[in-house]
Amino acid sequence: MRLLTRRSLALGAAALFLSFEAAQALADRTLLNVSYDPTREFYKDFNAAFAADWKAKTGETVTIEQSHGGSGKQARAVIDGLQADVVTLALAGDIDQIAAKTDKLPKDWASKLPNNSAPYTSTIVFVVRKGNPKGIKDWNDLVKDGVQVITPNPKTSGGARWNYLAAWAYAEKATGGDEAKTKQWVADLYRNVPVLDTGARGSTTTFAQRGIGDVLISWENEAFLVQKEFGADNFDIVVPSLSIKAEPPVAVVEGNAKAKGNLDVAEAYLKFLYSPEGQKLAARNFFRPVDPSSADPADLARFPKIDLVSIDKDFGGWTKAQNEFFADGAIFDQIYKPTN
Amino acid sequence: MAMSDRFLPLSHHPERATSETAPTKAVLIAVAGLFLGAILFFPLVTVFIEALRKGWGTLFGTFADPDTLAAIRLTLLVAAIAVPFNAAVGLAASWAIAKFEFRGKNLLLTLIDLPFSISPVISGLVYVLLFGAQGWLGPWLDQHNIHIIFAVPGIVLATVLVTFPFVARELIPLMQSQGTSEEEAALMLGASGWYTFLKVTLPNVKWALLYGVLLCNARAMGEFGAVSVVSGHIRGLTNTMPLHIEILYNDYNFVGAFAVASLLAGLALVTLLAKTFLEWRFAGELAATSRRH
Amino acid sequence: MSVPVRVRNLEKTFGRYPALKGVSLDVEAGELVALLGPSGSGKTTLLRAIAGLEQPDAGQVLFGDIDANTLSLRERRIGFVFQQYALFRHMRVIDNIAFGLRARPRSSRPSEAAIKSKVLELLHLVQLDGLEARYPAQLSGGQRQRVALARALAIEPRVLLLDEPFGALDARVRKDLRKWLRELHQRTGHTTLFVTHDQDEAFELADRIAILDQGRIEQVGTAAEILERPATPFIDSFIEGIARREAQARDRTKPHVVASR
Repeated sequence: MRLLTRRSLALGAAALFLSFEAAQALADRTLLNVSYDPTREFYKDFNAAFAADWKAKTGETVTIEQSHGGSGKQARAVIDGLQADVVTLALAGDIDQIAAKTDKLPKDWASKLPNNSAPYTSTIVFVVRKGNPKGIKDWNDLVKDGVQVITPNPKTSGGARWNYLAAWAYAEKATGGDEAKTKQWVADLYRNVPVLDTGARGSTTTFAQRGIGDVLISWENEAFLVQKEFGADNFDIVVPSLSIKAEPPVAVVEGNAKAKGNLDVAEAYLKFLYSPEGQKLAARNFFRPVDPSSADPADLARFPKIDLVSIDKDFGGWTKAQNEFFADGAIFDQIYKPTN
Repeated sequence: MAMSDRFLPLSHHPERATSETAPTKAVLIAVAGLFLGAILFFPLVTVFIEALRKGWGTLFGTFADPDTLAAIRLTLLVAAIAVPFNAAVGLAASWAIAKFEFRGKNLLLTLIDLPFSISPVISGLVYVLLFGAQGWLGPWLDQHNIHIIFAVPGIVLATVLVTFPFVARELIPLMQSQGTSEEEAALMLGASGWYTFLKVTLPNVKWALLYGVLLCNARAMGEFGAVSVVSGHIRGLTNTMPLHIEILYNDYNFVGAFAVASLLAGLALVTLLAKTFLEWRFAGELAATSRRH
Repeated sequence: MSVPVRVRNLEKTFGRYPALKGVSLDVEAGELVALLGPSGSGKTTLLRAIAGLEQPDAGQVLFGDIDANTLSLRERRIGFVFQQYALFRHMRVIDNIAFGLRARPRSSRPSEAAIKSKVLELLHLVQLDGLEARYPAQLSGGQRQRVALARALAIEPRVLLLDEPFGALDARVRKDLRKWLRELHQRTGHTTLFVTHDQDEAFELADRIAILDQGRIEQVGTAAEILERPATPFIDSFIEGIARREAQARDRTKPHVVASR
């Protein structure tokens, strides 16, 4: 009896394993896209469109696997060996990290595709609870006493770094460029943050599902998504006077794609992001397309006009910003002290 | 009291072990009951209620999703490898520790406890440091096209590490309290080492072993931290059920998340029920083997 | 069947603590010898070394002409009764006694029918007829002791070794068992060594007594020899109680009143 059970257990395990292998063998080729948090819905649509397009062009079935998480964490996983064919992350700095720590993609990866390899852009806005009970209109309202701000951890989340830089840009402008005062202002902001999640999506669920906090500093696309998923009658979007132009870049991880024989399909995949269909899907999923001409005008009408600073012009690029603000012991570490 | 004790000198009377009054006892029981209800039972019920919020149809729809099925399959596969492995190695280690004297025994005991005392995240990171592309063995593995982390082997390894102590920790104290005299008796009667192990050692610990295996299984299926670090979170490929629950939750698919969560909780409940049933069914034998004589 | 046991210069050290310091002892075939001594004297270590449960650091144990070192535990064929009996708690009495026969390699294993009749025969010998289906936990101490003995006898041992055979029993049962064991030994004729710390037990039961102290045998002899000529001051004091009781017993036969205790 005992022997029988043990044998059938072993058989069961073997069968499971085989079926697992079989499921993988079904698709002709599989491509792994390692992405950041708020792109889940977009890439679900986009992958289906690309697979259909690739099938029509080559007759080959391609399956795209997705991995989502905080942008910095995802970059780390690729550095540690996650076999991504393409990375579609929140900021160039994270892809720079992969290029610096591995030889899997060239240092000049950003020049391989148009617009610094960013096929869509976004910006940072606020999400507040319906009717805006705390009367939040601009960044200045976020440092007031009694306002709870939800934003993820800039050490692990790309979105959080955009949030941070947008806040910094505003403070710099408001204090007339006084660095000490700017620092103090940003420190005051983070003092109002009760939970630092590791990724943008974690912050969104903290705010929207768990009902913590008065204002969520969020990707614009994520903000629209909150209204869509949780009902527009539950949340309002507040557009601040100044924000930052976020350019989430994409790149082929050539070392991995070559090893897996996926280079052609990986390159085609990213190019397809710039195609009319790709741009249209981006706009539908609340990303600002770099080429708005083929997007649905109704989708485009949802994007408000905001005064935007730029990472390259105003912060001297990601490498500089990373070292100045987010490296170990840099400004963020100096100003952020967890409050319990 | 003293009188009645004299008539029953051999039997146990746990209710007389303390001198608390009946009200004190009632309060203590009520506090424990409330605590368990608030901390354990109520949240568990919430999981099932949330899962059914949009009806049975949506609940079953979740289980038709290929990514969910893949997560269930992967979880069962990982448990099917990790649990028998840990049962075998845990048994061997407990046997060595309880029945033999050797150098480094205390070190081995400490090592067995290590996965309990360190955070599962660290257990996962250890494998990243070892097998990651930047890790010690990473370049060699890469050359030979062997994938360990961000693939099934890494998930199995992390699970094995985290769940290792469960069987050993159940067995060691029991084996130590049972001593070695029954084994010595068997050897003196001419039994081989293997025969002794099968006929004497194993039957004496089978309940503890089973209990350890059940706990190990529950944890293997439920492990989140260590597996999260080495998984890579590739949907349909390297997501176990706990990781898939997080993904569904973050996808705003709350019903789906709670549906998988209730399945996972259900598996744990089945495990506990199995244990309770076996304890009830074999209560007599259990008492006979655990009592010292 | 029974063989003489010869122990030659056995030495055994546990860590830095010497348990046996060159012990020699001759036991004739069929003899019943007690190893007597205070706790820590090395008597149990000596018994376990003869059994093969401890590996001596130096010295030799001979069963007849055979060096015990050349024999595996199975080949030694020693019946060993443990202090706490070490019955297999998950087996019925019948399976406990049959264990040694069932553990044999297939070629020399008796048939199940033969095993069963042998077990029942042994149960009868130890006066436990009808208890074969009980579990050890369902037996009294004295009954367990006799099951342990039957189990040891089942392998038809060359030598019978008993470690504190009555240590765990209450006084009345002890007395009965002592007498019973003496009779059993007379009937079966096994070369027997038993360990005890109880002088009365040793003097009443054994053909000869070996008295140990601090890893050495201080004296070997019959009860009368030791009582008449204690070899060392240690033995003199160790057997003092017995000598006094013997004297009292002689006195009690005289016709005058003795204060009762």
